Amino acid sequence: MITLRGLTKRYGDKTAVDGLTLEVAAGKVTGFLGPNGAGKSTTMRMIVGLDRPSAGEALVGGRRYAGLPRPLREVGALLDAGFVHPGRPARAHLLAMARSNGIDRARVEEVLAMVGLEAVAGKRVGSYSLGMRQRLGIAGALLGDPPVLMFDEPVNGLDPDGVLWVRGLMRGLAADGRTVFVSSHLMSEMQLTADRLVVIGRGRLLADAPMSEVIAGGSGNAVRVRTPGAGDLAARLTAVQAEVSRVDEDELEVRGVPVDRVGLIAYEAGVPVLELRAVEASLEEAYMELTGASVEYGVGR
Amino acid sequence: MTRGGMPGALAAEWTKLWSIRSTWWGLACAVLLMALMSMILATGTVANNTHPPAGEAPPGVVSVSGTAAGSVDMVQFVVLALAILMVTGEYATGSIRATLQWVPPRTRMLSAKAAVAMAVMFPAGVLLALTGTAVAGPMLGKWGRLDAGDVVRDALLTGVYLAVMSAFILGVAAMLRSTAATITTAFLFVLVLPITLVNGPSELMKDVADGLPSTAGRHLLNGDGPYPAAVALLIIAAWTAAALLGGITVLRRRDA
Repeated sequence: MITLRGLTKRYGDKTAVDGLTLEVAAGKVTGFLGPNGAGKSTTMRMIVGLDRPSAGEALVGGRRYAGLPRPLREVGALLDAGFVHPGRPARAHLLAMARSNGIDRARVEEVLAMVGLEAVAGKRVGSYSLGMRQRLGIAGALLGDPPVLMFDEPVNGLDPDGVLWVRGLMRGLAADGRTVFVSSHLMSEMQLTADRLVVIGRGRLLADAPMSEVIAGGSGNAVRVRTPGAGDLAARLTAVQAEVSRVDEDELEVRGVPVDRVGLIAYEAGVPVLELRAVEASLEEAYMELTGASVEYGVGR
Repeated sequence: MTRGGMPGALAAEWTKLWSIRSTWWGLACAVLLMALMSMILATGTVANNTHPPAGEAPPGVVSVSGTAAGSVDMVQFVVLALAILMVTGEYATGSIRATLQWVPPRTRMLSAKAAVAMAVMFPAGVLLALTGTAVAGPMLGKWGRLDAGDVVRDALLTGVYLAVMSAFILGVAAMLRSTAATITTAFLFVLVLPITLVNGPSELMKDVADGLPSTAGRHLLNGDGPYPAAVALLIIAAWTAAALLGGITVLRRRDA
């Protein structure tokens, strides 16, 4: 479990993280979303003690990271695949890591096999592609078999196979009862992976809720109906407080009324229905609405 | 292997140091430079004895291991560069953030680096001194005086000096974080500043120079100077402690 209490980071007069208070629970994949510069990476760096909070605190399993006697056995974190010396072979990197926390060296081979790097583990990391470095970073996060895992943009640079693998890995880690806290810019990927979402913008908490709630909170859910009697049907739908917009000569978009109700109303009105479908909101739409006002480096939309 | 803590931090630093090529290259370069410098110094001594420059007394018979110790002035920069890279190399590549995730207590992390640097540079210094002696001996020929006691003493002192100076510069590196800045600082502080002060007009400047770690090291290795060897060692140790404390303070205050 990760606990943030009033976590704040200021750089001069700019506040990167502004009083974040939340809990990331075990047994779930919690997605961490926000526009560029929203403070996601800074928050994660404070959790593992790389950056000092200006105020508040970040606790892992109730304790500060810096106070953990063998931190890699408590928290596995992939913050940046680049946090590796390019002149060092991957195996030596993991071996030094294992030794620092008294982890058995057999575990190094285990995690190398888990991420599929065993064949290239003797090569220097500088020769690795971004995807391979991500895999090495994930191997490092898994090394101490920790109950808490954090990943900052883990699928960056991975091929579709790799993306699928990471999704399965995250789901599996959460199913083991571990705490999985993962940031990503890929909304479709996040929608498939996360159970719960934490959304921040300009360093502030915008949402901390189950995935389904966040999506339902967006205005994306709608019903599309195509009918020659569009005008007639629109009048009847408006009468039951539905929000109706004319998309085309014979097509309506209806909000506020479920799809089965639209079908029944059309039947009662004797209006022929050529096509009737529910338009599911996506996380992407809900996210855009949520963060629209807090985009740091936007180009206007 | 079940422990983390300081033993874990030491093991990790040891593994990291030997798993990059620059360590091996650096040590090989130091040995080569030592051989070269000892050769140059020995050749100079022989030349000055056989064809003394006008108005100068010939150096006469000199200590072979002392010639090697004299080469340390230049060779130390290769050794110091290796110690510097243990810190600034990690800042340059971002891997310091990995190191600090593995070993979050800043004091433990930097102490482990300093301890490993000393453990490597002491035997490396002994080896360098012996290399210089082995090269200078045949070159000096009859102008060289080889004394077993001197050889052992000079080799051990070279090892101690390079080990402690490595820890000193590691502390400076933790304060500055940049390879270029730290190497420049090392060059100015270890070589340029003492020479400038010693050749300065006032006695006070010479006294200040005697308080610098590299001058103390030179007195230690040459067996001269205004204070005994123990004081020279204390001076270097005090500078080292101050630099490491400074490094730890910066590590604690600044974000990684």
